[in-house]
Amino acid sequence: MFMFLTRRLLTSALVVLISTLVMYVLVSIAIDPLEDLRASTDPNKEALIASRTNALDLNTPVLLRYLDWLSGIPRGYLGVNWQTNQQVTELLSGAVTTTLQLVTVAALLAIMLGVFVGIVSALRQYSGFDYSLTLLSFLLYSLPTFWVAVLLKQFLAIEFNNFLDEPGIAWWFYVVVILASGIVTMAAVGGTARKRLQVFGIAAGAGLVAVAYMDLTDFFVTPGLGIIMVAVLGIAIAVGVTGLSTGLGDRRSLYAALTVAVLGVVLYYPMLYVWYYIEVNWLIIIGLGVLTVLVGLGVGLVWGGPDKWTVARTAALTAVPVAMLLFVDRLLSSWDSFVDNGLIRGRPISTSGRRTPNFDEGFWLNTLDLFGHLLLPTVTLVLISFASYSRYSRASTLEVLNQDYMRTARAKGLTERTVIMRHAFRNALIPLASIVPVDIITLVGGAVITERIFGWRGMGFLFADSLEKNIIDPVMAYLLIVAILAVVANFVADLMYAVLDPRIRVNA
Amino acid sequence: MKIRRITAAATAVALAAALAACAPPEDEDGGDGDGNGGNADTSITVGWNQPFYSYNSDTSNGNATANSIILYLMNSGLNYYDANQELIADESFGSYELLSEDPLTVEYTIADGVEWSDGTPVDASDLLLAWAAGSGVVNTVEADAVERDESNYPVLDDGAVFFDSSSAGLGFTDIPEISEDGKSLTLTYSEPFADWEVQLDVGVPAHVTAMQALDIEDPQEAKDALVDAITTEDAAALSPIANFWNSGYDFTELPDDPSLYLSNGAYVLTDMVDGQYATLEANDGYTGERPAGIETVTVSWNEDPNAQVQQLENGEVDLMGPQATTDIVDALGGIDGVELETGVEGTYEHLDLVFNNGGPFDPATYGGDEATALAVRQAFLTALPRQDIIDRLIAPLQDGAEVRDSQLITPGAPGYDEIIADNGSDQYSESDPAAAQAILAEAGVTAPIDVRTMFAADNVRRDNIFNIIQPVLAEAGFNLVDARNADWGSKLGDGTYDAVYFGWQSTSTAVTESQATFGTGGLNNLNGFSDPEVDALFDQLAVTTDEDEQIDIQTQIDTILFDAAYGLTLFQFPSVAAWNTDRLEGVEPAPLNPTIFYGYWNWSVPE
Repeated sequence: MFMFLTRRLLTSALVVLISTLVMYVLVSIAIDPLEDLRASTDPNKEALIASRTNALDLNTPVLLRYLDWLSGIPRGYLGVNWQTNQQVTELLSGAVTTTLQLVTVAALLAIMLGVFVGIVSALRQYSGFDYSLTLLSFLLYSLPTFWVAVLLKQFLAIEFNNFLDEPGIAWWFYVVVILASGIVTMAAVGGTARKRLQVFGIAAGAGLVAVAYMDLTDFFVTPGLGIIMVAVLGIAIAVGVTGLSTGLGDRRSLYAALTVAVLGVVLYYPMLYVWYYIEVNWLIIIGLGVLTVLVGLGVGLVWGGPDKWTVARTAALTAVPVAMLLFVDRLLSSWDSFVDNGLIRGRPISTSGRRTPNFDEGFWLNTLDLFGHLLLPTVTLVLISFASYSRYSRASTLEVLNQDYMRTARAKGLTERTVIMRHAFRNALIPLASIVPVDIITLVGGAVITERIFGWRGMGFLFADSLEKNIIDPVMAYLLIVAILAVVANFVADLMYAVLDPRIRVNA
Repeated sequence: MKIRRITAAATAVALAAALAACAPPEDEDGGDGDGNGGNADTSITVGWNQPFYSYNSDTSNGNATANSIILYLMNSGLNYYDANQELIADESFGSYELLSEDPLTVEYTIADGVEWSDGTPVDASDLLLAWAAGSGVVNTVEADAVERDESNYPVLDDGAVFFDSSSAGLGFTDIPEISEDGKSLTLTYSEPFADWEVQLDVGVPAHVTAMQALDIEDPQEAKDALVDAITTEDAAALSPIANFWNSGYDFTELPDDPSLYLSNGAYVLTDMVDGQYATLEANDGYTGERPAGIETVTVSWNEDPNAQVQQLENGEVDLMGPQATTDIVDALGGIDGVELETGVEGTYEHLDLVFNNGGPFDPATYGGDEATALAVRQAFLTALPRQDIIDRLIAPLQDGAEVRDSQLITPGAPGYDEIIADNGSDQYSESDPAAAQAILAEAGVTAPIDVRTMFAADNVRRDNIFNIIQPVLAEAGFNLVDARNADWGSKLGDGTYDAVYFGWQSTSTAVTESQATFGTGGLNNLNGFSDPEVDALFDQLAVTTDEDEQIDIQTQIDTILFDAAYGLTLFQFPSVAAWNTDRLEGVEPAPLNPTIFYGYWNWSVPE
């Protein structure tokens, strides 16, 4: 193991070193720091060229400049943006924060959605549902980011904001929602014709109720859940989570989950007090989230039984979405004052940037503003990256489903839920363990195109912008970090795989 | 056991229910502020592509439009260019007077009551600092010998003085004199200088620079120390002053020290978030003739022009001035409630023929026969379809697009109409391949002639130009060889091409600017053109201060250039400005910097 680590680290360091050298030379060839002066008619042009050549050592051979750049790294000096005289280390710290804010949610959503869709698709292999999803994921996978982004801006931001001006749901929207929710759910659940019809009826009905509710309550003008919706959704979550986690036959789990849901409903009004009297910030929200999990575990343990930790897990898994309902409800109650704000002027969804300039109206409105800016880039990133996860998880699930132990599990009479959730699902996730770390770690490298189109000055933006403006130091810093992260990510993936799958051994 | 658990659960629920019973039914938006966001209806947001990074736009690095547009709103000045590129003096800020032509002596006087936003008066010491920095007279180190530290700032050890300035022209002046009351400054040039009017203006505040550099508390004391240091050329004091002048005003977010962003004009800077936006609010203390039209102006940065168009449509920005491309103009034209104004930029496209590379336009190719080379050049330019280029590439982007007919003066600028009437540009007003063939035949040159034509490789418009001119010139007997190059900028003047077209960027209407292009051995003379008469005329122009005489000399130079078939100017780059008519009116974009920000004092919110 020790030998493996040492050898791996040494080769990785060498890879990083060589790649920086190659990149430094290539970037030096590609850029022309004097570009803006060449077509200038400034009377002072000659002095400016001389001064810049001197400042950037342009007459020094590129290899010497590379060594000079390299010698700064041990001291933590990554160079300077010569146009604005900003230290690259400062630029990087700002850019990393921006990128993380942009891509974290999108990455988590894409992984969850991708895995879910992939598994369902595998379970319904070669059905219409499977084929449709395959088509859809390849379609999304191959879409160019800039194009998706422009379309989303047009329809999800500009047109939607126009719609908010005079909201009213057209009849065709009803038809589309009813058919879509019915057909998709029916195809995903499958079964006999009779069952399909039933499922279609239920899902279509749910779709109709949802749209009618939005239409009748003027949801787009004054969105909110209210205690009734919190109760309905909370109980649905409790039943759903129990169904997937332990099965509805486990009464203790079901009761624990339901208790948590009821607790959420009961806390609806008291929480309004809490929001009112406490100066909320993200730290408190995260603290409340942790508290929620603990309460969930506590409730589960009180219900107890022979396998009380399973019950506790179910209760905790229920508690988090129920608590989120309360948070969302509180957030939406500020929607009115957000949309009517003089800086928002009835257009809550933004096409660009991280926040509305000069907008600072307290936690809830600022959060809405942040979400209004995060929405489009997040949707773009999710649409484009979830496809690959769904492909991976579909393939691995199919492989697992054909294993002998699946047949054994079925043969010994386990319920289909147990077979799928415990035997298939968990093992199907193992191959993803080698993909997800790489993806997550390289996320820090940013999303070059998405960041640029949506005006988020993250890592990808820093790279592309510096390259365009002929500034080598930020480009090299970016490449250095991405190279290191890529090496680290692969390393972590290897180790994780070895830990998760006992058949794999790390050998020297 | 079971009963105890159920009891416990029930108790918890009951307790919570009891709490719930005393809860208020409604609890709207506690602590969310007024929710109105200040004077929202007298505020606008302007989209711009590059973020601000330095309050001192006179340094070699700080000299960028990203900085100067913000400073244009913040700081007033002795004069400014209007939308017709005419220089207008702002007497409410200060005045300048030509005391004598020989030696050229100018007296600058700051108007009474003009103050920095911290209450310190603006006076001659501010001008003196700008002069010291711009002239380089007090520098003890040469520009190309300067060592730079890890933040790219000049290292000034042992009392060395170096103002890292971007300006030129003040070098021919002596240390100015300051009047008793400190309001006036008299500058004497050692030789006459045509562009004296735009050489000196107030830059960064002198008192802040000296207070920070020399650690002085009192503004007046600081000014005195600065004036003293410059007039006595006291290197020990000037070294920290230069150092602070070079580096102290660079920031990308609002500094903690408000003295680093003082205003003497219509707006004060109130907020700046790194890479996102800057907010400027009307300066209550401003008493000049160009007060803020809109209470709050926010400049929001976005590098992507297409994204900016959608921001405009979504109401996130109210005014923008992107580079004009067909996509952008089409997209802007399709938005309701947006007014579009097309115009021209300072940059102009031109085609040059090379005189000194042994190619078809070089007399050396014909054994030194000047007349044959001239005929070949004339034939080439006679066939060049300039109007076609305008009609097909520029007219869709710009109302009233026209061919630029002068090498020296921008269309619409003072004197342009007079110059093009007499400069001989009419001989190339129409493309005539047949006439070109005749000229070649008369000169006894056999067609086809290979002409290596260089242009920027990754530029769609230049690619289109090539496609337009190639067939027409082929008809005239010129075989255009495609020598496009991504690295064209560094290949300029290396003799590997016979014709080239690209854009010269012009940032002012200074008449001396063109000498480097057309004078013998000038830095921007990339085609080896040399004419003693032109050189003499430029020398004369440089020392001519009378505007009519300047135009007269420029016409003579222009005529020689056209007669010598130097090359041809094609068009001024089109520009576009677009704004939301519900939010803003009175916009009047100017061709030169500050483009869309020009005339902010006329901006208003429609009723």
